[in-house]
Amino acid sequence: MYFDIFCRIIQGDRTLELSNTAYLVGDKRNIFVFLLSKLLGVISNTIFFTTMRIFIWIVAMFMLTTACTIDKTDFESENNTVVPDDYEFKEVVSIDKGSYHIRVEALHGKLYKGYNEIRLRITEATTQAPIQEGKVTFLPVLTTLEGNKETCPNQYALTYDKAEEVYKGFSVFTQESTQGDWKITITMEDDNGTLTVSQPIAVEKQVNKNLNMTSFIGSDTESYLIALVAPLKPKVAENELVAAIYKLDSSNTAVGENDPTFKDKYVLAEDYTLLLDPRMPEPSMGNHSSPHNKDLVQKEDGFYYGIVNYTMTGNWTLNFILLNKAGLILKGTKVPTDFTPGVEGKKSELFIDTLF
Amino acid sequence: MVMRILTTLLILGYSTAVLAQETKIKQDSVSTVLEEISMLVEKKKKIETEMKMAVSVDEFLASSEQISFIKRGAYAWEPMLNNMSTERSTLTIDGMHIFGACTDKMDPITSYVESNNLSTIDIKSGQEGGMHGSTIAGSIDLKRKTTAFGRSNPWAGGYQTGYEFNNKQFFNLANVSFSGKKLAGDASIAYREASNYKDGNNDEVKHSQYKKFNTSLGLAYKTSELSSVRLDAIFDVAKDVGFPALPMDLWLSRAIITSLSYKQLFEDQFIKVWDTKVYYNAIEHYMDDTTRPENLVHMDMPGWSTTYGLLSKANFKQGNYSSELQLNAYNNLSIAEMRMYPQDRTERTMFAYSWPWVTTTYAGLSLNNTVEFSEANRVNFGGSIGVNYNYSKYVDFNWIFHPGAPQEKTRFLPSLHANYEIDVNRFNFSIGAGYGHRAPSVSEAYGYYIYNSYDRYDYIGNPDLKNEISNEINASVGYKDQRFSLQAKVNYFYIKNYIIGRILSLGSPMNYQSVGVKGYTSLDYATLFNFALTADYHILDNLHWKGNVTYAKGQDNTKGNLPFIRPFSYNTALHYSYRDFGIQTSVHGDLKQRDFSPEYGESLTPSYTVWNASIDYTFYVNNFKAVVQVGAENLLNEYYSTYADWGNIPRMGRNIFTSFKINF
Repeated sequence: MYFDIFCRIIQGDRTLELSNTAYLVGDKRNIFVFLLSKLLGVISNTIFFTTMRIFIWIVAMFMLTTACTIDKTDFESENNTVVPDDYEFKEVVSIDKGSYHIRVEALHGKLYKGYNEIRLRITEATTQAPIQEGKVTFLPVLTTLEGNKETCPNQYALTYDKAEEVYKGFSVFTQESTQGDWKITITMEDDNGTLTVSQPIAVEKQVNKNLNMTSFIGSDTESYLIALVAPLKPKVAENELVAAIYKLDSSNTAVGENDPTFKDKYVLAEDYTLLLDPRMPEPSMGNHSSPHNKDLVQKEDGFYYGIVNYTMTGNWTLNFILLNKAGLILKGTKVPTDFTPGVEGKKSELFIDTLF
Repeated sequence: MVMRILTTLLILGYSTAVLAQETKIKQDSVSTVLEEISMLVEKKKKIETEMKMAVSVDEFLASSEQISFIKRGAYAWEPMLNNMSTERSTLTIDGMHIFGACTDKMDPITSYVESNNLSTIDIKSGQEGGMHGSTIAGSIDLKRKTTAFGRSNPWAGGYQTGYEFNNKQFFNLANVSFSGKKLAGDASIAYREASNYKDGNNDEVKHSQYKKFNTSLGLAYKTSELSSVRLDAIFDVAKDVGFPALPMDLWLSRAIITSLSYKQLFEDQFIKVWDTKVYYNAIEHYMDDTTRPENLVHMDMPGWSTTYGLLSKANFKQGNYSSELQLNAYNNLSIAEMRMYPQDRTERTMFAYSWPWVTTTYAGLSLNNTVEFSEANRVNFGGSIGVNYNYSKYVDFNWIFHPGAPQEKTRFLPSLHANYEIDVNRFNFSIGAGYGHRAPSVSEAYGYYIYNSYDRYDYIGNPDLKNEISNEINASVGYKDQRFSLQAKVNYFYIKNYIIGRILSLGSPMNYQSVGVKGYTSLDYATLFNFALTADYHILDNLHWKGNVTYAKGQDNTKGNLPFIRPFSYNTALHYSYRDFGIQTSVHGDLKQRDFSPEYGESLTPSYTVWNASIDYTFYVNNFKAVVQVGAENLLNEYYSTYADWGNIPRMGRNIFTSFKINF
C-alpha cells in the first residue's frame, strides 16, 4: 500500500495529498490518528525527495572527496616564505685589468653585512680560458665616515677549486655601506708578476637573519665578533649550526692596507666554547626552547660547530655564552628556563636572532 | 549473554542485518540463506537503550557494561573498551578501518556514524576481537544496516524526531530501504542540533553545542543466484561543535566513508560465504579557537586522515567445525598541522606538524575456528599474524626528540587466543586466554607536541617504542532459567611494554597552556582487571528488572594506578509494560574513585548517582507502528562529573526528552 503511494510520488501524482486524505477519511479512528496519518503523508513525501537529494549529493560528494575544505600546507614552500630558496652565486662586480677578466660572485649577486661566501672567476680576457692555480688574495677595507680604515674577518688567500674553476673565500662584513665606503683589493700573482686591482663595493643590510652577526667587547676588554655561517636555510629539525668567532688583535697597530699586517687585524678565536640556548622570543611562546642542542666548539677549519634544534618555524633567539680556553665567561648570561606564557623570555647579553 | 550472542555470531561467522520482517519467498536461494542467517542472529541488539529509544551512537555504546567513555563535551565521546583507550582497541565500521583526523581525539570514529544507519554494534573483548586487526582491548565493530533481497514488502522505512530540553537538542532521523528481486538499497539522513547544556547547578556549560548532519546510502545488486555486489557510502558533517574541556572547538569535520563489496555464497560446500570489500575513507577535521578570546595564542590545527583498504573474509563449515578466515589490509595517511599566530600578526607565523605525514600500512591474516564437541560444549581458537609498516615523511620532527630514529619501521604483530565453553544444566562456563601484540598509534609513535588538556602536558611520540604485548585470561560463569539470569565475567590483562606518557626532562612546552613535555614511553608492564556482573529478572511477564555492577583495577609496574580506570559502578533498571504503555526507570552511578592516578593528572572524583525515568506509548497508524516517549535523565538534577570527564567538566543536569518514532 505504501509502495503504491511511493509509485505515485514518483509519477508525480499531484492528487496524492487528496487521495491520501480520502482513504483515511473512511478509517474509523479518531481525529488524532487522522492527523498523524496526514503528517505521515507529508513525511513520506519529504523522505522520498530527501532520499533522492541525498543520492545526488553523495554522487557529488564522491567527486569532491579528493578536494578538502582547507588546503594542506605546502611544507616545502612554507620553508621558502622567509628565506628564499636561492643558492645561486651571481656576479657582484666584474673587473677588467690588463688581459684578465675578474668576476666577483656572491649569493644573489650581493654582499651583505655578516658572513658572505666569495667566489672569484678569473679568466684570460680574449680566450676566456680560466686562470688556474694562481695565488689570489682578497681584502675588503672599510673607510669609516670618520675616515678611519678598518678591515674585517676575511679569508685573505683564496683557495682554488679545480672542479668549479673558481677561487673561494669568505668575508664577514662588519658594517653596511651606510657606515662608510667598502673597497676590495684583489691581487693575483703569476709568472708575469703581480696584478693588483681595487674596486668599491656595496654592502647591504643582511636579509637572511640566519646569517646575522654580533660584535661586542668581552670581559677581557678585547673586541669579538660572532657571525653565523650556516644553516642558511634552517629547517624544523636538527640543524648543524656553524659560527665564525673572531677577535680583534689589539696588539696589531697597522692603520691602512699598505701595512702588510693590516689584513691580520682580525684573528680567529682559538679553542673557545660558545654555549647555546635557543628560545622563541614571541611572548605567547613563553620562552619555548628545544632539546638536544649542542654547544659550539671549534673544528679544523677554524669555524665553530654545534647543533640547534628548531621545533617550529618562526622567530628564534640563539642565546650564547662565550667562554675562553680557561672557561672564563667573556660575554653572555644564563637565561631563565621557566616556561612563561605571555611573557617574553629574557635574552642573554650575547645573542643572535634568527628567523625562518 | 553477550558472549552467547557473539559466539553465535562466530559460529555462523557471518552476520547480516535483515529487517525483522519474515520473507516468504522461499525459492530465492540468496534470501533463503540470508534468512537462515538472520534467524540465527535474531538476538542482535537494536540501536536503542532500555531507557531511551532515540539515542545517539555514544549513548547506545554507553549501555554496554564493557564500554566506558572519556568525555570532552556533549559530543564525540571516546569509547574505552575494558578500560583501555582507543589505541588499544580496533574500531571499525563493517570491518573497515577508519582513523580520526584529530590529534586530540575529538573525533573517534563513532562520531562519524548515526544511529539510524547502524543495525548493531558488535563488541568483542580481548584477543577474540582480533579478526579485524591487531588489538589489546578488543574490537568494536559498527555494523551498518543492510537490506536483503526479495523482502515481501519492498519499501520500508522509519522516521524519528525528538527534542531534549536541557540542551535544546532537536533531531530528525529518517531512513528508507528498498528490497527488490535484483536490487536492494538503504538510505538514511539525520540532522541533530544542540545548544549548550546545563549542569546540575543549572549553570550553562559553555562551548558544549553541536550540529551534526549524517547521510548514508547503500545499494546492492544481485549478480547471480548466489552473489551480489554492494556499494555503500556514509557522509558525515559536524559543524560548530564545542568541546568545553578543551581549549579549542571544532569548526568543521567531514567524513566520507565508502566501500564496494562483492559477496559470494556457496551451497553444499566447505566454504559457505566469501565476502570481499575495497574501501576508501577520508576525514578532515578543523579545530577553531576563534570562539575562545581568552586564549593567548590563536592557532590553526587542521587534520586529515585518508585510508584505503581491502577486507576479504571467508567462512567455512563442515560438521561440527566452522571457521572464519579474514584478510585485512589498509593504508592510512595521517596529517595534522599546527600554526600559531604571533600577537603581532604581521610577524611570521609559527608552523609545525603534530603528525608529520605518517603513513601506516597494515596487512594481516586472521583465523578463528570453532569446534562443537556437542551442543553443550565447544572450543574457539584462532590467531592472526599482521605486518605493520610506518613511514614518517617529515621525520626531522621526530628527530628533534629522538635523534636518529628510523624513518620507517616494520613490526610483526602476532596474536593467539583460545576459549572453551561448556553448558551444564542451567549454568554455563567459559574460560579463555589470549596473547597479542599491537603497534603504537600514530600519536604514540610520531606525535609532536600534542597538547593533552587533561594533564596539561605536550606529548611527544617515540618511533622506537616496542610493541605492546598483551597476555590475557578471561572467564565467565552464568546461570539462566526462564525468569532469571545472572552472568559474571572477569578478565585480566598483563600488558608488557605498556605505552604511556612520562614526563621528559627535555625541551619545553610549545602550547601555552601546558606545564611540561611528556614523552610516550613503555612501562615494563601494566595489569588490568575487569569484572562485570549482570543480572536479569522477569519478575512478572510485564515487569522486567536488569542490573549490573562493574569493577576494574589498573596498575603500572610500580603498583601505581593507571589513569581512566572506572571505579565501582552500578546500574539498575526496571521496565514495566501495561497494554500499549511502557514505563522504565533506572538508577546508575559510580562510587568514589579511590584508585585515581595523580601521576597521570587525575584527581579524586566523588561518587554520584543519577536517576532516569521514561514512559512510552505505542500505537498504530494504518498498521504502522508508532511510539512516543517522554522521559527525564538525571531527574534529581545531580551535579556531577565522572572519573573520565576531561577537565572534570560537569555532566548534564536534568534533561527532559521527548521523541516520536514511526516505522513503515
